[in-house]
Amino acid sequence: MTTMHLLRRRLPALLAALAIGVGSLISARADEGPAVPSFVDETAAAGLDSVYAGDWEYMVGGGAASFDCDDDGFPDLLLAGGEAPAKFYRNASELGGALKFEEGAASGLELDAVTGAYPLDIDGDGRMDLVLLRIGENVVMRGLGGCKFERANEAFGFDGGDGWSTALAATWEKGASWPTIAIGNYIDRSSVMPWGSCTDNWLHRPQGSGPGFAPPLALTPSYCALSMLFTDWNRSGTPALRVSNDREYYKGGQEQLWRVEPGKAPALYTEADGWRYVRIWGMGIASYDLDLDGFPEYYLTSMADNRLQKLAPVPDGAAAKPSYGDVALAKGVTAHRPYVGDDVKPSTAWHAQFEDVNNDGLVDLFVAKGNVAEMPDFAALDPNNLLLQQPDGKFVEAGDRAGVASTRIARGALLTDFNLDGRVDLVVVNRWKGAELWRNTGAGEGTGAGLLLKLAQPGPNRDAIGAFVEVRCGERVLRREITVGGGHASGHAGWWHFGLGGETEAEVRVLWPDGTAGPWHKVAAEGRFVLGRDADPMPWSPG
Amino acid sequence: MLAIRTMAAAAVVMAGLGFGPAAAAERPAPETVLREWYGLVLELVRHTPTYSPPVASRAFAYLGVAAFEASVAVGEGDLVSLAGQVQALGPLPAPPPDAALDAAVVVQATVAAAARELFGNTGPTGQRALKLVEAKLAASVADGLPAATVTASTDYGRAIAAHVLAWSADDGGAVIDNMGFPADFALGDGPGRWKPTSTFDQQQRPLLPRWGENRTFAMPSGATCDLPPPPDYSDDPASRFFIEAKEVYDARVQLSDEHRAIARFWSDDPMLSPTPPGHWISIALQLLEQDGAGLDRHAEVMAKLGITLADAFIGCWHEKFRYDLVRPVTVIRRMIDPKWEPLLITPPFPEYPSGHSTQSGAAAEVLTALFGENRAFTDRTHEDDGLPARSFPSLWAAAEEAGISRLYGGIHFRAAIDLGLDQGRCIGAYAAALRTRK
Repeated sequence: MTTMHLLRRRLPALLAALAIGVGSLISARADEGPAVPSFVDETAAAGLDSVYAGDWEYMVGGGAASFDCDDDGFPDLLLAGGEAPAKFYRNASELGGALKFEEGAASGLELDAVTGAYPLDIDGDGRMDLVLLRIGENVVMRGLGGCKFERANEAFGFDGGDGWSTALAATWEKGASWPTIAIGNYIDRSSVMPWGSCTDNWLHRPQGSGPGFAPPLALTPSYCALSMLFTDWNRSGTPALRVSNDREYYKGGQEQLWRVEPGKAPALYTEADGWRYVRIWGMGIASYDLDLDGFPEYYLTSMADNRLQKLAPVPDGAAAKPSYGDVALAKGVTAHRPYVGDDVKPSTAWHAQFEDVNNDGLVDLFVAKGNVAEMPDFAALDPNNLLLQQPDGKFVEAGDRAGVASTRIARGALLTDFNLDGRVDLVVVNRWKGAELWRNTGAGEGTGAGLLLKLAQPGPNRDAIGAFVEVRCGERVLRREITVGGGHASGHAGWWHFGLGGETEAEVRVLWPDGTAGPWHKVAAEGRFVLGRDADPMPWSPG
Repeated sequence: MLAIRTMAAAAVVMAGLGFGPAAAAERPAPETVLREWYGLVLELVRHTPTYSPPVASRAFAYLGVAAFEASVAVGEGDLVSLAGQVQALGPLPAPPPDAALDAAVVVQATVAAAARELFGNTGPTGQRALKLVEAKLAASVADGLPAATVTASTDYGRAIAAHVLAWSADDGGAVIDNMGFPADFALGDGPGRWKPTSTFDQQQRPLLPRWGENRTFAMPSGATCDLPPPPDYSDDPASRFFIEAKEVYDARVQLSDEHRAIARFWSDDPMLSPTPPGHWISIALQLLEQDGAGLDRHAEVMAKLGITLADAFIGCWHEKFRYDLVRPVTVIRRMIDPKWEPLLITPPFPEYPSGHSTQSGAAAEVLTALFGENRAFTDRTHEDDGLPARSFPSLWAAAEEAGISRLYGGIHFRAAIDLGLDQGRCIGAYAAALRTRK
């Protein structure tokens, strides 16, 4: 029986469990609203000093990447610099301590014209590689260990092209020993009037089954992608490619979902398949199974019309159709205008990410905000959002109370646990202004534990991109898809975080990318575990 | 090495603006300058979020009047000023004494200054295009002229623009907050009153509820071409209101490919098209190009059309908020089918009358007066967006199709369309009656 069938059979029980479980987890704070975490600005103390610089060609992009490149378990950091060189920071934080980064010796990643970066272990050697999105040629950087990297375009057969690259997503197609990477490109930067000049997105598939890349395919039509995500939206076992496009520049375009099936040419889902026509200023994608029905929801950032897309109900025995309704208003995540200050103009949203920032067992949403440049129709002082999920599934704004309501013209960002204390921290890249780093110091006593999990499997796709991790916590099953892509030009690899509420232990299992469902394992809350195939969870501690 | 694919349409626009490899070195004619600016502002309208259809119509009106007065000032044809004919427009500045003026430079300076102000809310790419296009056109029209002529013509053009822009400042529509959606608005009580239809928080209030109070251009006020009330709200299947709701529902069920094509062709959604008034501006530009029209004709057509489109939105919005009628999607879900979905996105403001119908009626009235009763044409406005051209036997045929497109799209009831077209005809007559020639 497939995972899909299992999910469908268990759906009613899961939904019933949801109501029970949420009540038990959250009841202590039902009258007070969600516990608000405290984020302390440690940018300067941690040693971060990076600006996403440049004019017109850098109005989009501005990403961050977090990954471990020196095998100490702590996520290191790369920040796009725009026209200035990107900056690499080695994480020198101590467990649970203040955040500390060292710029130090050159890593090889310090290229100019970088708009964004995504980590993934392309060649499966256990050392993290990175793809640098750039104005001009994209560059694959092979990890050498010890946080040293070298250019690998030629060695990997990767054609970096010459474009304005702004999005990336990666997956391992079934049977492949090498990843498939989709790269989203923006407008023709040589054009004086670039409206309607969206350039081709590219699909870099393996040469044969790998190693190495074949010449890229053009994903036509292309509509100025600003975010891409390979995601198993229908739990079929084969991820499709979601593309969020900027309607500012396309003509005749819309949001897209591509079928990418092994051995076949990519093909768009159409209205005949159930795909609904949506046109927004698509800038970022975040995904998570918020309602625990087995299917991810998708948050799409835009300008005043951010969407939270939920799959239309799937009739019993029928295949899911890619038809999504917008529940942003119903769930309180429209985030369409500033919530502090006097500026009532609409907001401009970029990176979005779901994580449980207060460890209450309910996934929250961060949205990076900032004017494109000096667009007078939109808010100039546009604070980032931190929307905390409540037991009823609705979200409430807490960015100001949490201390992250910066108005520094944000672009990319990452919610990552940099000091591995079970609380996700936050880094934000800002246009023309210094990046910001906040340490999450928690939401007070009794607000719950955080669990960090890392996946490992032998052979290619060592980090199990495409897997689903499930955490049974009380009566609820939290579920997240392990992806490379989405957000705004920003990617993370390594530990995946789960908030456990008041639970002291949980059960975890992995639905591996090949469809194998691993067994449930009991783990203690506040732990860090490496989940391997056919092995018990391995506790991990630094040093 | 991967190559960048650029859509052919953009390359055509660039070449037209003199940025392409085939750019001619000779000075452009003044009507060419004007057309190139309209080509740019049709893009800027699409890419400036504040430009909902009413706001766009206002910008087209002032841009048209500015270009027209520049044409009057340089003695094009037998044109006469609109000062004293349209509401509150005082006499234009006199030309500098004893100065040689060049028509192309005056038009360029006037329209550039007006466009910068009227379309200045655009984003960074629009700002960049404004600067590059202005610099390129300013250089090309000045090529070979005495410096004194260029300076005098530029200064005079800017003075004309400043006069028009000063006139525009107190009409009630100059400042648009929050894309036109008020922070507070008390929704009307009762099932027949407008209810929000969008899931966007911003659109839980209606767009520009006071737009109908703006100063008009050619007609006396927003109330001038008022309409009878729409059919009384009723859930009685025998009532006219219910029958009209059922007609919209049935139309959705029975939509043919041609009906879908019509609905999409005229949809003209803000941020995804030049907007409905921009669509009619595009039609006029196509007709003028077909005719090989000179500056005087361009200026006359664009001024009268811009004026009537702006008046149409003021008059239409006046009636929309007078009657505050509920949209079909709300009614049909309540009375007929709770899961009903219209083909098009329902706009966030009251239903009656149809803005498409009023403005299309007004445009057809003005353009018919200028181009004739049976002017057949083919409209290629949306070819870049993949929507094929459509052909019409007359301007009124196009207007009527624009009207009925809203019923196919599930946006409007029949009465809003029929009476909207009537309102447009009434409004258009005022602009058509403006004296533009000696």
